[in-house]
Amino acid sequence: MTQRADQTRPGDGPARAYDGPGASSAVRGINPRITAQISYSIDSTIPGEWHLRIIRSAIPAGRVTGFQTALLDDDVIFLTADDVSDLNTFGCQIADQVVLTREPKFVGDAIAAVVAPTARDARVAASLVEVDYEAVPSVFGEMDAIAPGAQLVHAKHYTSESDSAYFDMRPQDGTNVCHRFRIRTPALQGRDEPEVVPHLDDPDDALADAFADADVIVDEVFHTPAAAHVPMEPHATNAQWVDGRLEVTTGTQTPFNMRQDLAHIFGLAAEDVRVVVPFMGGAFGAKTFIRTEAITALAARKAGRPVRCVLDRDEVFNEVTRHPSTVRIKLGAKRDGTFVAKRIWAYVNTGAYADCGPGVAQKMGYAGVGPYRFDHVAVDSYCIYTNLPPGGAFRGYGAMQSIWAAERVVDMMADKLGIDAVELRRQNLLHEGDTFCTGEVMHDARFEELLDDAAAAVGWEKDGDRRGKGVVVILKGMQTPSKAEARIELLPDGRYEVQAATADIGQGAGEMLTRLAAEYLKVEVDQVVVCAPDTDRVPYDTRTTSSRSTHMMSRALADAARDLQVHGTIGHGYVSNDGGLDPDTGQGIASSHWHQGSASAELEVDDETGIISLSTLYACSYAGKVINKHGAELQNEGSMILGLGTALFEELQYTEGQMTNPNLSDYNIASALDVASIRHRVMEVPGGEVHGLGETAVPPVPPAIGNAVATFGYDVRDLPMTPERVLAARLGDTFQSPTGEDPQ
Amino acid sequence: MTWHLPTSVDDVVRTRAERPEAPIVAGGTFLGILVRQGLVEADEWISLQRVTELTRMHSAGDLSVGAMVTHRRLELDDTVRTIWPGVAAAFKAVASPRVRNRATMGGVLADADYASDPPSMLVASNAVAEIASVRGTRRVPVEDLIIGHYSTSMEEDELITRVVVPRPTGAAVYRKLRTRSQEDRPASSVAAVVHGETVRVVVGAVSDRPYHFADVCSQWRPGDLDSAREIGEEYASRIDYIDDNRGSAAYRRHVVGVEVRRALMAVAR
Ligand SMILES: Cc1cc2nc3c(=O)[nH]c(=O)nc-3n(C[C@H](O)[C@H](O)[C@H](O)COP(=O)(O)OP(=O)(O)OC[C@H]3O[C@@H](n4cnc5c(N)ncnc54)[C@H](O)[C@@H]3O)c2cc1C
Repeated sequence: MTQRADQTRPGDGPARAYDGPGASSAVRGINPRITAQISYSIDSTIPGEWHLRIIRSAIPAGRVTGFQTALLDDDVIFLTADDVSDLNTFGCQIADQVVLTREPKFVGDAIAAVVAPTARDARVAASLVEVDYEAVPSVFGEMDAIAPGAQLVHAKHYTSESDSAYFDMRPQDGTNVCHRFRIRTPALQGRDEPEVVPHLDDPDDALADAFADADVIVDEVFHTPAAAHVPMEPHATNAQWVDGRLEVTTGTQTPFNMRQDLAHIFGLAAEDVRVVVPFMGGAFGAKTFIRTEAITALAARKAGRPVRCVLDRDEVFNEVTRHPSTVRIKLGAKRDGTFVAKRIWAYVNTGAYADCGPGVAQKMGYAGVGPYRFDHVAVDSYCIYTNLPPGGAFRGYGAMQSIWAAERVVDMMADKLGIDAVELRRQNLLHEGDTFCTGEVMHDARFEELLDDAAAAVGWEKDGDRRGKGVVVILKGMQTPSKAEARIELLPDGRYEVQAATADIGQGAGEMLTRLAAEYLKVEVDQVVVCAPDTDRVPYDTRTTSSRSTHMMSRALADAARDLQVHGTIGHGYVSNDGGLDPDTGQGIASSHWHQGSASAELEVDDETGIISLSTLYACSYAGKVINKHGAELQNEGSMILGLGTALFEELQYTEGQMTNPNLSDYNIASALDVASIRHRVMEVPGGEVHGLGETAVPPVPPAIGNAVATFGYDVRDLPMTPERVLAARLGDTFQSPTGEDPQ
Repeated sequence: MTWHLPTSVDDVVRTRAERPEAPIVAGGTFLGILVRQGLVEADEWISLQRVTELTRMHSAGDLSVGAMVTHRRLELDDTVRTIWPGVAAAFKAVASPRVRNRATMGGVLADADYASDPPSMLVASNAVAEIASVRGTRRVPVEDLIIGHYSTSMEEDELITRVVVPRPTGAAVYRKLRTRSQEDRPASSVAAVVHGETVRVVVGAVSDRPYHFADVCSQWRPGDLDSAREIGEEYASRIDYIDDNRGSAAYRRHVVGVEVRRALMAVAR
């Protein structure tokens, strides 16, 4: 074991004034991101550390039968699955992963690693190792994976003890379904339903009577592809063992889950793992749960020295993706427009490992119900293993996929009924005191104001000409249940230190904490310092995901400030939001507060090339009370930009399970030149609660565009709406899909 | 790693002859990516940054563009915009200002990437490249310079020194079709330039190299929609298309017909 090196790292040494991203607008003069004053994970180093390269499977499914390592230099350390025999399996919701595997399940799965003195040596060494495989059949599409007789990706189903497994799993034995989530409103409960995983064309629905009162039914299937998070900073981890304690400096949105999972993998007490989180250069969900941390820690253990791992861009693409999905929606209404019933089947392609796919399946399930009243709702979401790279948390967290389908279907219904699409929504919106399909009563419901605002932004006139216009309104849940703790300590120099585990991903968490603490303590912002998340120094927090931090942490901090006033030098604050859903009925509390939003689009479609030209893309997100206006606006814009790329061109492509566009030339994200049409609003109301809004504007953007496109007769079901898909949707032209196969 | 910093064309060609393994670096926008991806490795590099004669541009008579003239300069130069608007438009269509500030005339021709904007316009404009080596200088029409995927008719040790674009006698139109981000490379690149009574239509970014069919162009009746449509359809049917992330072969065949027709109608206006 090496000694802890003398170094400066976030969390070590004296507290400092907040100088991170976002500090520009208020706390300091110049944006430290531009002046390169921020130290990210990728900038953190430990003297004497060696470098890790992961050797990845070239086949989508099979067994590693041997390695040829004769060409490796003597000092290179080589790790294989043999080195993980004393380690526990892991996985945030289902423990289906090992640190290095003998049985790879996707192209890119970690099967071995090399550690060498320099990054270059490690790269060369990795290229010198040859691998022998024995391939087995593989399956890539979510619908193929649930077909009878499909190859099983995992021979059996597992569970997880992690805090992140916050609901009971419902694996379907003998299938690739690792979790099944259902919603059944009261009249549909207690039926004797068969446990089969229905395919899209299965005619028999045991709950068809829910639609008995409907005059008109729309029943349609939609698809969304895998997509990449593209954080500017890749995953970067430094690990070392200090007197039997594991210390990891890494870019993660989940420091406390990380601590727990690493402790579990290595058989340590949680206190014997320290996780330090410097600023991150973006994450968007890609830096949640175990990514590069366990393999780096293992390598450091074997090497007896600190080890560093930084992924290449193509590895970042393959590390974790957004879940591809197929969503079928059946909506029934009376002739006067009153919604009667909704049925959703969501098929979530979680790839080779579950990660948080079960949670995503659950959220995909209820977000697709939307902010509307129904007599009956039944949802079936399936989290399905395939041999693609794992799907994980992704800004919008499942909501985007089902809202794409659900809000397109509302417009289809409006067309069928001959009712104005905005009026049809208005007629069915949830209001204060209405009951959602989960049984929870809506509070602080703002859907009507949001709808009107988005409609006005594109000059929507009731029953007017709506060619080229689309309007959408949505709800999205927040992580429930969860906990947040915060401490505020009065320092000897008279300043206050905020100790909280909220990670700064670039969203401005540090600034948010600074401003809030100053407000609650009634001091100036320069009287407040924030320490970086370090599990040795800050109290527990569930994680920095699902736009929960501002909402939860603000209350924990307020509590800490009150406590400080009572106790003098240290104030401790704690909040929890309780709830959760029954996996078989979907009844309970889905979300302790709702993210509410709307969007609209105005555009033209070139009817010969299928190219969409946006003149307005608008989104309105309900914020209640805004803490940092500039930061909130940036979040809203960022969400819209992601939504725009999702709508028009972002799509990971695969050939035989191998990603064919894992770089920024072959995979486009929206650029500065694409966003000129964007306008938006962060909606505040006097006396409103603090609402998170880090993702609210992602999900409504694709259907707002899709609905506008559909007014020209192009009924696009599959994202992204590439020009050739647009043309094919009207002309029925069957252009072959661009290179590679559709994962469908 | 060694950087050679020659200051004259003579210097460059001599250094090249002595060090055939050393890549030439112009703006570095293309090479930089290949190096990052581990596709190009070298111990010695030859930079053109100090060769001032390669940055010269003349526009009295024909347009003479030194190999190191950037896309941005061609896009913004008043004379180029007035007299060679098609050339200015094709260079302006490339990527973003960040890339155009670095990328050069020599680089875009030498890399011969099928998905580039300027080549179709340069071919349509009858541009000629001047190429130097220790053996002397020769002139090659751009049409004969780019011969396939990332391949040119240049020898290993040759250097593009300048490109000469004749003064146009008629209208020129450049049409870039983007199917993804507005910063993306083209899914199809159509240039049409009128020379006297005739037109040169060139289609790039849909196949291995830019395509021009003189016999088809000779059928053109200026301003006639049917003629434009027929030429579009003939172009569409003659090319062997590629499939990539920007569009399938079938889609490209479809849009080439549309884009050629639109370009022909625009130059006749
Ligand atoms: C993000 C991005 C987006 C892009 N988008 C587009 C686009 O939309 N449209 C488009 O057309 N292009 C696009 N490009 C390509 C860009 O235009 C080319 O990379 C550029 O033109 C190359 O010029 P350079 O001076 O940077 O070449 P370099 O990278 O320096 O060199 C390219 C090649 O040419 C050789 N070379 C350079 N100069 C000479 C010379 N004088 N004689 C002989 N050989 C030479 C080099 O050895 C090398 O092989 C894009 C590039 C990037 C990075």
